[in-house]
Amino acid sequence: MEMFLIAAACLAAGVLTMLFPHGWQKAAHWLANGLALAGSAAAAYGAAAQLMGQKLHPLVWGAYSLACDGWSAIFLLLTGIAGVIASLYAMGYARSYEGNRLRVLGGMWNLFLLSMVLVLLAGDGFSFLLFWEIMAVASFMLVNHESEQRSTRDAAYQYLVMTSVGTAFIMIAFLLTGSASNSFSFADMARNNLQGVWQHAVFGCAFVGFALKAGLVPLHVWLPKAHPAAPSHVSALMSGVMLKIALYGFGRFVFSFLPTWNYWWCVIVMVTGVLSAFLGVLYAQMETDIKRVLAYSSVENMGVIFAAFGCGMLLKVTAGGHWYMLGFVAALAHAFNHSVMKVLMFMSAGSIMHGTGSKNLELFGGLARSMPYTALFSFIGCLALAAAPLTNGFVGEWLVLQSFITLAGSNSAQNIRLWSALCFILLGFTGALALGCFVRFFGITFLGRARSQLTEHAHEADGFMLTAMGLSSLLVLACGVYPLPVLQAVCAALQLPTDYALQGWGLAWAGSGAQAVFNPALLLLLLTVVGGALYLATAGVCQRQSVTWNCGTYPTERQQYSATGFSKPVRRAFDYLLKPKRQVSYMRKDHAYFGRQLSYKLEIPDMITEKLYQPLQKHFVRVSAFLRRLQQGSVRLYVSYVMAAMVIVLIWGALYK
Amino acid sequence: MIDISSQLESLALCLAQALLLLLAAPLVSGIVKKVKALLQNRIGSSVLQEYYDIRKWWSKQTILTPYTSVVFRLAPCVYFATTLAAACMLPNFFGGQAGFGDVFVFVYLFALGRFFMTVSSMDAATAFGGMGGSREVYVAAFVEPVIMLAILSNVLHTGSTSLSGMSLSFDQVNLTVAGVLTCIAFFLVLLAENSRIPVDNPDTHLELTMIHECMTLEYSGRLLALIHWASQLKLLIFLVIFSMLYLPLDLPVALKVLFSAVMVGVVETLNNKMRLFKVRVYLAAAGLMLLLAVVAQ
Repeated sequence: MEMFLIAAACLAAGVLTMLFPHGWQKAAHWLANGLALAGSAAAAYGAAAQLMGQKLHPLVWGAYSLACDGWSAIFLLLTGIAGVIASLYAMGYARSYEGNRLRVLGGMWNLFLLSMVLVLLAGDGFSFLLFWEIMAVASFMLVNHESEQRSTRDAAYQYLVMTSVGTAFIMIAFLLTGSASNSFSFADMARNNLQGVWQHAVFGCAFVGFALKAGLVPLHVWLPKAHPAAPSHVSALMSGVMLKIALYGFGRFVFSFLPTWNYWWCVIVMVTGVLSAFLGVLYAQMETDIKRVLAYSSVENMGVIFAAFGCGMLLKVTAGGHWYMLGFVAALAHAFNHSVMKVLMFMSAGSIMHGTGSKNLELFGGLARSMPYTALFSFIGCLALAAAPLTNGFVGEWLVLQSFITLAGSNSAQNIRLWSALCFILLGFTGALALGCFVRFFGITFLGRARSQLTEHAHEADGFMLTAMGLSSLLVLACGVYPLPVLQAVCAALQLPTDYALQGWGLAWAGSGAQAVFNPALLLLLLTVVGGALYLATAGVCQRQSVTWNCGTYPTERQQYSATGFSKPVRRAFDYLLKPKRQVSYMRKDHAYFGRQLSYKLEIPDMITEKLYQPLQKHFVRVSAFLRRLQQGSVRLYVSYVMAAMVIVLIWGALYK
Repeated sequence: MIDISSQLESLALCLAQALLLLLAAPLVSGIVKKVKALLQNRIGSSVLQEYYDIRKWWSKQTILTPYTSVVFRLAPCVYFATTLAAACMLPNFFGGQAGFGDVFVFVYLFALGRFFMTVSSMDAATAFGGMGGSREVYVAAFVEPVIMLAILSNVLHTGSTSLSGMSLSFDQVNLTVAGVLTCIAFFLVLLAENSRIPVDNPDTHLELTMIHECMTLEYSGRLLALIHWASQLKLLIFLVIFSMLYLPLDLPVALKVLFSAVMVGVVETLNNKMRLFKVRVYLAAAGLMLLLAVVAQ
């Protein structure tokens, strides 16, 4: 636990840099990010030691305690790793915020990291909720950092409202569990005596609360607004780590506090997961704001993670035995891998914004020439998010697919067949659409020709940013080719034997019948030898440069496909879901064919916002208007309320003595 | 731990088979073309024409647009390499085990190739490339769920996710409802995945509705040769998979492959290319058949 105390001390000291005098902006910046880096590294080191088998004794102060078991250690590990990388990036990136903000940003950054580390260490319900709320407030402050923009303020306050609602549900879940046990410490809460309907209530509240934080559909509406509004390194940590902490909390409830699982709970978790995955990636492909693309892709990946988790629960309920753990292994491995790649991609988005001053896909093009390193790292990130083999994205995907196939084969009941077929269909859509989404992201941004003036003055990111991106790209590839360490960490976290689902250099799974293997090292060998030989055989041999034949005219950059155009076929194919609002009007039309000027406007409203939240909001305002009649500020009215309440209490007391 | 040398030896056997398939691939495409020509009352080009084409492209100059990046030159190599790797994973006649993956790796290897090809389609900064890429993404979005269901159906039947475990031995060939439905559905997917009529037309890139050919329009010389050869190999791989996993006929594999190649030619002659947005209906039909098959198992 000493490492965690050192981590907390570093981060707490980092928070205090906020109080530096006005002239010490730069010093505060370096010190804050340096301390954040050191604190994250210490947290990662401590977590790794726990996973390697070191026993950690909880620190207890009366009813409050800090503890670290396997389930929290794996999340501490990913928090630490992401924290190190993102803090390194922040050293370069945050310099562009000048004035007082630099101090505030550095301090809040440390507070955010500190609160996440402490949430994961909390050993009782009260500390958990306290740190959870600090985490929410710190992230709200960071989202609201550029508060002079109206859209940022809107996003931040919507986030604050939504996250408070989530906390309310989590609080109810804790209170219900705690009141059925001796104390609020996690150890006591694990021995609760919840019965029947109360178990359902606890599960429901915990699921709603944590799903809201994880951004699952239909509770995701805050996510695509809040994540893009924050500075990029903050978005990286919010998407990469904070969403995973929701999984941590949910897992804590499901594993520790609710010993027996209902069949329908599992189905709800799994189906919510796959639906989120599908809808998330569908909206991601429609977006033209690079950070919103990534935010929706986080919705997708959290969906996949929860789907795998639900699949694991369902396997335990219907099949039992040693098999069911595969779903949880898949969920944790994908959570870890997604954290690394999403941090990488948000950092790339930050570099693009830093270099061009825009985050609109439609204005980019040909950036690979002016930002070659950013392009390389983004390419690796895009491959990972498209779940291409040899990146860590595929490791998670493979395990997820294996757990679903195991589920399908484990039981020949028709309901299991149907659920697994449904999940397979939606996962198939998700995989292919994610590929399209990141092909579009990379191709439009970095390839082809410049679509606007902006990109002509684009410049490459600085050393800190490139180092951070390079480090995480390396991790993406390393964990993709050699998944052993991550899988061993996950197995240690779930207290499985270390050779579970592992074989030599690769993965293996025997639960679905005959042995299924995936050996990325061998695949890498084959692909590099064949691909490399072919590249040498084709590159430089008889090559000549010439302008593309364009029916007798020179091609212009306006003739390239735009981002909106690229997603048009998918948009049309899914128009019954997306309901795009498209307005085309002629501004000038001199001739039937030439000299026409068009204005084109496309809007894709979020289905859930339109169909669920807006009616809800309208209803809420109406009810509030009614309630206002009860509360008019007249003292006499309030006296009569007190009177009425007393009478009711008296009658109640007389009846149930 | 598995013995490294035996694994490499196994890989060599698989590679040998993949190279044989690679050599045979242009012939199979030539046969499909010949069948089409005969059915259309033409003599048609020789069945060896595809070999001549590859040789011609290989000796020609490659012309690159000034805007292209290294992705453009790398993509055909990766596409070829992933397709060859996928060929290594087919059930092996020499008894080798590819050892690097099961059917999901197989599917995602094609996805890796597709990623590179669609990305490269935007590299030459012309309208045609982006058009092909965007349509490829659209068709892939509907093909993938159907392939997943086909895998599920087969895994439920055979209880294995490795391609050699999934291939049907003679005693498993049976005319059940599920088997027949899966067979038809997989044939529909095969046509879509390999850009054949009625989803796409492999013979032309000059119409606005084309997908795969229009994506590769800017390629020439050796790079074009690689793309064409890899596409032919991909068609052969899918025909082999169809024959070994789904076709309920009690015949040697080579004959089954020949039979399904002729079937592709016949279907291409009898049908027109359908409108782009009809493709989802076509694939939804395949998906529904597979759903029935999954439930009926």
